[in-house]
Amino acid sequence: MLTSILKRGAVTALALAGLTTAAFAQLELKLMAPAAPGGGWDGTARSMQQALTSAGIAKSVQVTNVTGAGGTIGLSQLINAKGDGSQLMVNGFVMIGAIVLNKSPVNLTQVTPIARLTAEAEVIVVPADSPIKTAKDLADRVKADPAKVTWAGGSAGGTDHILAALFADAVGGDPKKINYIPFSGGGEALAAMLGGRVTAGISGYGEFEGQIKAGKLRAIAVSSPKRLDNAPDAPTLKEQGINLELLNWRSVVAAPGLSDAQQKTLADAVEKMAKSKEWAEILKARGWDDAYLGGADFAAFQKAEIERVTKVMHDVGLVK
Amino acid sequence: MDTLLDLFHGFTVAFEPSKLLFCLIGVFLGTAVGVLPGIGPALTVALLLPVTFKLDPAGSLIMFAGIYYGGMYGGSTTAILLNAPGESASLATALEGSKMAKAGRGGPALATAAIGSFVAGTIATIGLAFLAPWLVEIAVHFGPWDYFGLMILAFVTVSATFGDSPLRGLTSLFIGITLGLIGIDKLTGQARLTFGVPELLNGIEVTTLAVGLFAVGEALYVASQRAHAPEEIIPIKGSLWMNRQDWKRSWAPWLRGTAFGFPIGALPAGGAEVPTFLSYSTEKRLCKYPDEFGKGAIEGVAGPEAANNASAAGTLVPLLTLGLPTSATAAIMLAGFQQYGLNPGPLLFAEKPDLVWGLIASLFIANVMLVIINLPLIGLWVRLLAIPQPWLYAGILVFATMGTLAVNPSPVELSMLFGFGYLGYLMRRYDYPVAPMVVGLILGPMAEAQLRRALQISLGDPMILLENPGSATLLGIAFIALVAPFVMKGLNKFKAAED
Amino acid sequence: MASETTTRRIDRPALVVALLLFACAGIVANDAASQTIVSTYGLGPTAVPYVVSICLAVLGLAHLVVAFKEGIPKPGPADTVAILWIVGGLVGLVACIAFGGGFILATALIFACTARGMGRRAFAVDFIIGLVLGLVIFLVFLKLLTLSLPAGPLERLFF
Repeated sequence: MLTSILKRGAVTALALAGLTTAAFAQLELKLMAPAAPGGGWDGTARSMQQALTSAGIAKSVQVTNVTGAGGTIGLSQLINAKGDGSQLMVNGFVMIGAIVLNKSPVNLTQVTPIARLTAEAEVIVVPADSPIKTAKDLADRVKADPAKVTWAGGSAGGTDHILAALFADAVGGDPKKINYIPFSGGGEALAAMLGGRVTAGISGYGEFEGQIKAGKLRAIAVSSPKRLDNAPDAPTLKEQGINLELLNWRSVVAAPGLSDAQQKTLADAVEKMAKSKEWAEILKARGWDDAYLGGADFAAFQKAEIERVTKVMHDVGLVK
Repeated sequence: MDTLLDLFHGFTVAFEPSKLLFCLIGVFLGTAVGVLPGIGPALTVALLLPVTFKLDPAGSLIMFAGIYYGGMYGGSTTAILLNAPGESASLATALEGSKMAKAGRGGPALATAAIGSFVAGTIATIGLAFLAPWLVEIAVHFGPWDYFGLMILAFVTVSATFGDSPLRGLTSLFIGITLGLIGIDKLTGQARLTFGVPELLNGIEVTTLAVGLFAVGEALYVASQRAHAPEEIIPIKGSLWMNRQDWKRSWAPWLRGTAFGFPIGALPAGGAEVPTFLSYSTEKRLCKYPDEFGKGAIEGVAGPEAANNASAAGTLVPLLTLGLPTSATAAIMLAGFQQYGLNPGPLLFAEKPDLVWGLIASLFIANVMLVIINLPLIGLWVRLLAIPQPWLYAGILVFATMGTLAVNPSPVELSMLFGFGYLGYLMRRYDYPVAPMVVGLILGPMAEAQLRRALQISLGDPMILLENPGSATLLGIAFIALVAPFVMKGLNKFKAAED
Repeated sequence: MASETTTRRIDRPALVVALLLFACAGIVANDAASQTIVSTYGLGPTAVPYVVSICLAVLGLAHLVVAFKEGIPKPGPADTVAILWIVGGLVGLVACIAFGGGFILATALIFACTARGMGRRAFAVDFIIGLVLGLVIFLVFLKLLTLSLPAGPLERLFF
């Protein structure tokens, strides 16, 4: 009797397993990039589309673009798609800042977190002929006269700006007083660095890599927890006694109000994709670092990041 | 001498039959997609990037070059034929080009655009090959104050697009500048004039305003006048090809356009719009037939188109030598490099000379192919205008909305497009020029951001604008350009009184 | 209307433009005044709006002067019915997208209405041409460019 139940159970389990694989291949997903075609989130979405379909995880993945307001328009559409188990959206660290800055009526706690996918370290650089050699030197200047330390980086309230503010805070300076100059796009910021117009620059490591390797810029610190594989000479902030870590991560979230089964299907599909050969190849080609973090861990991580960013945006005076 | 050898080597890479085929496909695809309004070269390259994934690095980059130049050229076709500038850089082309097309001179307009693009592209690519390292040194030393000077100079010359009334021209310009204030302030991240509408946070898209004012506004105006003074569109009048007179009037604007486009394009924040405006106003001032401006002067197509293409080659200077992507298109090109683990920058020339010189050589080849493909197509394009008017304008409106629907299909964006269309109709009716408004939207935010960056670096000291030789010179030229017409008038009066 | 304004010697369109410019100047200045966050260094986000606001007001004044003098150019008669057809088509398109009617239907609507406004009297034929045009564009965008245009009931029939 018992054995027969066990047997039957095993059969059901097998059938279920069969069903789930079949369900995978049947999966039809809609993947929203909350930005215009051609941008970073769009690139992530289209890469996911490629990996999900070529690895046979999903039958079809349709990428849609919803432009505007730092992705918060896309976010509100996702919230409206309540209970839709086929809708995913790409987002990331930058969206948290945009939500705070735009005083958006919607926020990330209203959607279902699925997983973090990639992350990029930030780097703090100075022109090669600068007297600043270490993060400590820079910290001393920020403490002494924050106005004289001009920072070049990306958009106001973006990752670069937040790192500059956190840096000032971590070294005991006043984040409100930092003289941060936003440039449109890394190219302009880089030119300002090379032209010696500003004291220090902040950007994703990839954007400055060529100049650092060519010796025109000096990387005084990276924001990752460990030194980067492709830049073993650049010390982390932690090593230099500054208690600060920051990664510019990208993740994927789903509509709110999903059943456990719906949520599991999506989470499994994304996890399977993140561990696929196809995804690994894309990461390599695009130069992205794998930072897969799924399930409850990601939810907790996202919550902590939201708190941190919200606080620093107030500290720096971007919102009142 | 080394450069020549390297370039020769590059040609041997690019001249393999398979590479030529990739280049041809790229040019063709680029032109086809670039023709769609609202889908500029950047988006064209982004969308076609996956196509190149499967090729080897050299083949892929060569195809890229083809798509890039093809996309640049495609934009001018719609600007001339349909008066729908699909990207801000072909705005100046639309001004005279569409007038020419309606007067049966679409053939010569497209031809001067194609050949001008070829001439400018070729000269600029030579510049890229030989001057890049030297030019880039100057380019990175261009500070925010210098850009501000350049923007002010562009502002001063904008009066060339004003038509006959300075009051109505300035009104149009300032409405454009006001529209430019809408959205998130670049320097502090604060929302301005958004009235709580999230769609406005990103600001007014230049193509939405341009396509609305130009294409939609004109369709409405033509429809309103049909019963009383029907518009006459002549598909072909005279030769389809440029005549001797056209050549004579085109060659100098091509060269001047290149001289504006290449160096300004090489500046990290120079862009393609400023040189096209500068070229347009220069041609208007120098033209021997100033009366024709506003009615379809070929110089007004030849100059800006050359400037546009030369600036495209110019943006490759900082991209290849420094790895600086200075335009949306260049940023996408960078992504293209990176998919092969290549990092453009100072080391690229040393590490991968084959690729770099192969790319530069394929730019030359793409340019030649562009002309070869597009000149025979002109006859076909121009016949589009022979479509019965109701269908032609219906098609133009479908085309005009398509770009917005593809990129940002929100009701708010569409309503703005049509709102601007109706505004464009009213402005045409009361004889307000529409071009200055778009110029204001483009230049206003740039000038403001650069000025504020300059003052943030100087901690609020405005003298920084006059202390730097670059900005002081540019502001000086702008000042002279502003007062010279008045002084001349005064002098002439004085002279007349003397006589 | 044109004759009326000339007898009264006040150019009404110029007056309207003047008032609109004053309104714009007021809105821009008011928005700038309500900004709470200013830059720590250099010029704040309100400096340029104030300058623009003053310029708009000056242009408004100039229009006011012009309204009492020669006025702005008087337009000829316009065909209101034609305008209404096209505006109707445009409004229909926005509504079609807003309520999920999809790209193909929206295209057909704008195509047929514009052609009608431009003087053709074959709405049904034009509507069908518009549908075919919309379908072709939809397929090209989806298959060649992998950009999905707004989908409605018609689009879902195909996919």
